[in-house]
Amino acid sequence: MVALIVGLKWQLLRNGLRRSTPQLVGLILGALYGLSVLVVMVTGLIALRFAVPSDVARTAVVIGGSALTLGWAIFPVIAYGIDETLDPARFATFAVPRRDLVFGLLASSLVSVPAAVTTILGLATVITWSRSVLALLVAPVAAAVAVLTCVAVSRVTSTAFSAMSQRRRGREAVSVLVLLMAVGFGVVGSSIMKRLSTPGLLPHVADVLGWTPLGLAWSAPADIVNGAIVSGLLRLVLAVIVLGAALLAWDSLLRNALENPRGTTGDRTTTRDAGLGWFGRMPATPAGAVAARSITSWRRDPRYISSVALMLLLPLGLLLPPLSGGSKLWSLAMAPTAGFLLGWSMHNDIAYDGTAFWSHVATGVSGRADRLGRLAPTAMAASALLPGYATLGCAITGLWSLWPALFGIGLGFLLTGFGVANVMSALQPYPVPGPGENPFGAPPGSSALTVAVQAVAGTAVFVLNLPLVAIGIGALAGNVWMGWLCLALAVVLGSAALVLGTWWGARIYERRAPELLTNLSRIR
Amino acid sequence: MPSRGSNSALSLCGLSKAFGSTLAVDRLDLEVPRGSFFGFVGPNGAGKTTTLSMATGLLRPDAGTAHVMGHDVWSDTVRAKQLVGILPDGLRLFDRLTGLQLISYSGLLRGMDRTVVVERARELLGALGLEDEGGTLVVDYSAGMTKKISLACALIHAPRLLVLDEPFESVDPISTSTIRQILEGYAASGGTVILSSHVMDLVQRLCDRVAIVAAGQIRAVGTLDEVRSGMTLEERFVDLVGGQTDVGEGLAWLRSSSD
Repeated sequence: MVALIVGLKWQLLRNGLRRSTPQLVGLILGALYGLSVLVVMVTGLIALRFAVPSDVARTAVVIGGSALTLGWAIFPVIAYGIDETLDPARFATFAVPRRDLVFGLLASSLVSVPAAVTTILGLATVITWSRSVLALLVAPVAAAVAVLTCVAVSRVTSTAFSAMSQRRRGREAVSVLVLLMAVGFGVVGSSIMKRLSTPGLLPHVADVLGWTPLGLAWSAPADIVNGAIVSGLLRLVLAVIVLGAALLAWDSLLRNALENPRGTTGDRTTTRDAGLGWFGRMPATPAGAVAARSITSWRRDPRYISSVALMLLLPLGLLLPPLSGGSKLWSLAMAPTAGFLLGWSMHNDIAYDGTAFWSHVATGVSGRADRLGRLAPTAMAASALLPGYATLGCAITGLWSLWPALFGIGLGFLLTGFGVANVMSALQPYPVPGPGENPFGAPPGSSALTVAVQAVAGTAVFVLNLPLVAIGIGALAGNVWMGWLCLALAVVLGSAALVLGTWWGARIYERRAPELLTNLSRIR
Repeated sequence: MPSRGSNSALSLCGLSKAFGSTLAVDRLDLEVPRGSFFGFVGPNGAGKTTTLSMATGLLRPDAGTAHVMGHDVWSDTVRAKQLVGILPDGLRLFDRLTGLQLISYSGLLRGMDRTVVVERARELLGALGLEDEGGTLVVDYSAGMTKKISLACALIHAPRLLVLDEPFESVDPISTSTIRQILEGYAASGGTVILSSHVMDLVQRLCDRVAIVAAGQIRAVGTLDEVRSGMTLEERFVDLVGGQTDVGEGLAWLRSSSD
């Protein structure tokens, strides 16, 4: 049975390679890149064998190994939906004894590219620690335990996550949470790295990690090399216990998954008042209806929630240089950045509808109503964010006279972005994750189109706003009147771009609505 | 201005559509008289959904015309779309809306008055047995409930012609009978229904006119009795469409239970 499951995994891996030539070329390029990274890392691990204070080797291996283990633990959450081929729930209808299934799935998990990479790295650490006979005995065992622990924790998270993802709410909550963590880490990560690279701190980090479940196995041989035999063996024993605990946890999750392969449907979202919500608040026109629908989707669909979070957090990233002692002038860019992101981000809005767009085609809603209604949620967000970020930028720098210029450039970017988006989203939608799919995932085979459309939209918005930016720089140079000119021009230019873009986009929409629907059903 | 076929609720003429090198619909002609309850049956891949999409303005035909009550779907688009209610198959809904919101959205998109929309939406929820689910997100509905809410969306503007693609697929018997009653009431009051289905039995009981379509062309069309010519609809269907139905002596191991 174990052999059968491993064989299944191997077959799936091979079938995955049976693709079109361009995809294969991409895959080979990716593999070459991965291979070169692997070669560098293995070389590094071998070089560490000769590092003069062996502490350097310990610090590097323990921190790197812990990060690797952590990566294995969270990868299934980020990548859910990418590889569910050996989802345990799919074995539920076959009468496979659970013991066989546990070992079969564990063994099959080892048949994968990440597992192969981890195994090679684990073997390389054996060379790193080949400094004494005892270390040479302990290191392979520790490496095996470490690699198995990686695989086991990833099975635990993927099984737990797959059980949770039977419930829509749970799945959506987790994916938004992970996105926020990723963005948050991206924003503060650089300053953490800066702190960490303070001399002498990294060994302490390794000390702490070495006693956590993440680093136990990786640090055991280091102790042996350093002569701390008892502590090294203790770590090894603890690492084995951690592995056993992970396997037990996985076994019990698996039992749950096999006994309730479908989960129970208790997952209903009933709104508090069973009324119309935003449909009662917006004007009772087709445009108002589209606006109400967009706003409602923004509040309930994790794909929108994720992008809103991104748009909120990215401008805040400009606060980092001032906070970490850099130039305060960075914070002035917050309002323009937010304006650009908010306006530009609408250029593929229609793709998020997916084939649900049919209701717009079937009801024959006018292009103007469709175009304008979609802007409502972004316009509402911008009406709070743009003045807020402009004020924040002024408060940090103390340059209050720049407020009209900052708000003006932000507004200009927003409105021209809307105009460009109204044309672009009627012209060429590109694939996005469907509702309920992983918001991180991008459907394969679409990146060229995605990049092209994004670049065209971005360039158009930027070029249209060059005059505003130029005047804004004049305002920064101290000409207060130029700030007011900037604001006035933003209102005029932006409104013109919006009106023109909506008119043009509406014409394209009305001519091409059925083709758009065909396009949307093809890219889904 | 009503031009050709104005006593037909739906009139298709020379409709064609190719996807790549496959001809999905091949110069198809069809007249659906006003007030009829029309069944559109055919095997998988016969071009039913493609035909109905082209007839309702969701998919542009390569050639041919479609008229709804005499209005050309592809030139007099707005007027034609006002007269039709659609329940498409295999397309998503804005499922993050509640049931009530989704029905209201269909009405408001058509520019209807909000009080009328809400009144009708609540009535429809009641008639379809969904009154307690009006506040639930459509994404959390069962398949049968989703079909019913789609039907409500198609009915909200009181269309003259209802085009329903597989309205009974994965619908339980109780909901099927609810939908049936609503459709029969609608047809009795002069509305025209055209529905596609795989369930011959249901079409036979429900429809007064039938068209059998295969490989993008109409094989038989007329009143139910004309089409089935003395057989059951299912027999006539298999007869016309062909294909192997007698499994013969194969699968012998399946029939003799060995224990």
